Amino acid sequence: MSDAPLIEARDLTKRYGEFVAVDGIDFTVERGETFGFLGPNGAGKSSTMRMIGAVSPASGGTLRVLGRDPERDGPEIRSRLGVVPQDDNLDLELDVGENLHVYGRFFGLPRDEIRRRTDELLEFVQLADRRESRVDSLSGGMKRRLTIARALINEPELMLLDEPTTGLDPQARHALWDRLYRLKQRGVTLVLTTHYMDEAEQLCDRLVVMDRAKIVAEGSPRDLIERYVEREVVELRLGDRNGGPSLDGLADHVEVLQDRVVIGTDDGDAVVDEVHARGLAPETVLVRRSTLEDVFLRLTGRSLID
Amino acid sequence: MDSVRRTVAVVGWQAHSFRRLWRGSITTSFLNPIFFLVSIGVLLGSLIDKSNPDLGGLSYLQFVAPALLATTAMQTAASVTTFPVRAGLKWLKTYHAAVSTPIRVGELVAGILAWCGVRVIVAVTIFAVVAAIGGAFVSPLAVLAPFAALLCGLAFGSVLAAITSSVEGDEWLAAIFRFGLVPLFLFSGTFFPISQLPLLLEALAWATPLWHGVALCRSLATDDVDPLLTAVHVAYLLALTAVGSALTVRAQREKLRR
Repeated sequence: MSDAPLIEARDLTKRYGEFVAVDGIDFTVERGETFGFLGPNGAGKSSTMRMIGAVSPASGGTLRVLGRDPERDGPEIRSRLGVVPQDDNLDLELDVGENLHVYGRFFGLPRDEIRRRTDELLEFVQLADRRESRVDSLSGGMKRRLTIARALINEPELMLLDEPTTGLDPQARHALWDRLYRLKQRGVTLVLTTHYMDEAEQLCDRLVVMDRAKIVAEGSPRDLIERYVEREVVELRLGDRNGGPSLDGLADHVEVLQDRVVIGTDDGDAVVDEVHARGLAPETVLVRRSTLEDVFLRLTGRSLID
Repeated sequence: MDSVRRTVAVVGWQAHSFRRLWRGSITTSFLNPIFFLVSIGVLLGSLIDKSNPDLGGLSYLQFVAPALLATTAMQTAASVTTFPVRAGLKWLKTYHAAVSTPIRVGELVAGILAWCGVRVIVAVTIFAVVAAIGGAFVSPLAVLAPFAALLCGLAFGSVLAAITSSVEGDEWLAAIFRFGLVPLFLFSGTFFPISQLPLLLEALAWATPLWHGVALCRSLATDDVDPLLTAVHVAYLLALTAVGSALTVRAQREKLRR
């Protein structure tokens, strides 16, 4: 029973009229893992999350969440989920503690139990001293942490986080990652969407890359890097080069961009030696390890999608 | 059973928010009705000849006070089911937060309309007590008038919630008050019998929920109850409540469960 996947999607589809937001995707999420949906804006990540959250009916395919059918057992599924939506939807007319109280009541929790959990959760998200503060007065990072505390009031088995750190400053992002990491250590299954590669690398055990409503790759961050890109990346700034020595055959993957050349290779230093040997004379040279960002750009292209 | 529990949780949420906002509601729900009662009912009413057959032997205060009970219900219901509903659905998206918990859309709507009922019954009861002390009611049946006003309030609340949940632009909300509630307030037999209206408008008044609320409250407070007419008023207001509630659920489901 406990070995069954927490989420199982087959050929899952979401249409809004003519527009296909999610186009027949398959994935499973196992208990205890942190699973990510990575993709550019409009790839279908949020639509998928809303279907998992049992607030948006699927247009096709099958979906099981916690072993149940979201269409039929919505309230039962939602009672075991914690949802952190993309935009904070805290009640600005209530204070911090009241937000948790009202939410706890939605889950049918008794008042003294809510009080006990509120103490714990505000401690956990470092807002214990803001219990009486109005939500308006909180910073973006604090609101986000409060939304996470709110999502934890029912002690969920599965947390859905839609772009949890978008719009936060670096300190707030790291504070949030730290909290999420602790939840993961406690055995809570986390499903998150993000377009931040470092976030996916930091948190996810396994992830899928979505692009234009479909899943284009799946694996652990390490797997994906090994499968789709070379071990290292050399970035060169060559300034204004008309003609000049050729870049051909420098490495397996050479991408010439407007302002720089990005080279994927298993041996960065050898490429740099070769660059100098050919007399290319770059203004700057950077050799770094490949990241998920390189995978992402390789798979979804560099053109900006709005 | 779970459904009832969840609906009550929504009412509790609304009550919680109200604890911070009740001062702002004193004007619409309490002071304005009393101001009308005094200025129109007592002061303007003193200029009106009591022997006018249209008043049926009542003083003008006794004529107008029961109607103000119904208009108070309308105004209070509108203050609960227009801007706050818009905020929950669109501005703050707190309704989205609610339906990502076990709460269903139907339970959310039921809770909001139930809260609307609570607000209406409190407002009209306070008004009725003040009016009764001022001698505005002639029949002991007037104790039932707040419940008649509640029916009127629920009919308005559910219809206005349906409109607020359906329309796209925010400018609609102000239009509801300007072109809907204000004319109803003035022309639904509140300040004069609708028999004074041209025939066409009189027929139109029959179609408006406020007139049914006014007529129901007035018949109770003046001991002029006609069983058949009472049944028509009650049935009309209940039917409107049912239709408005169903349309609200449908519209909100469309927005919250896309």
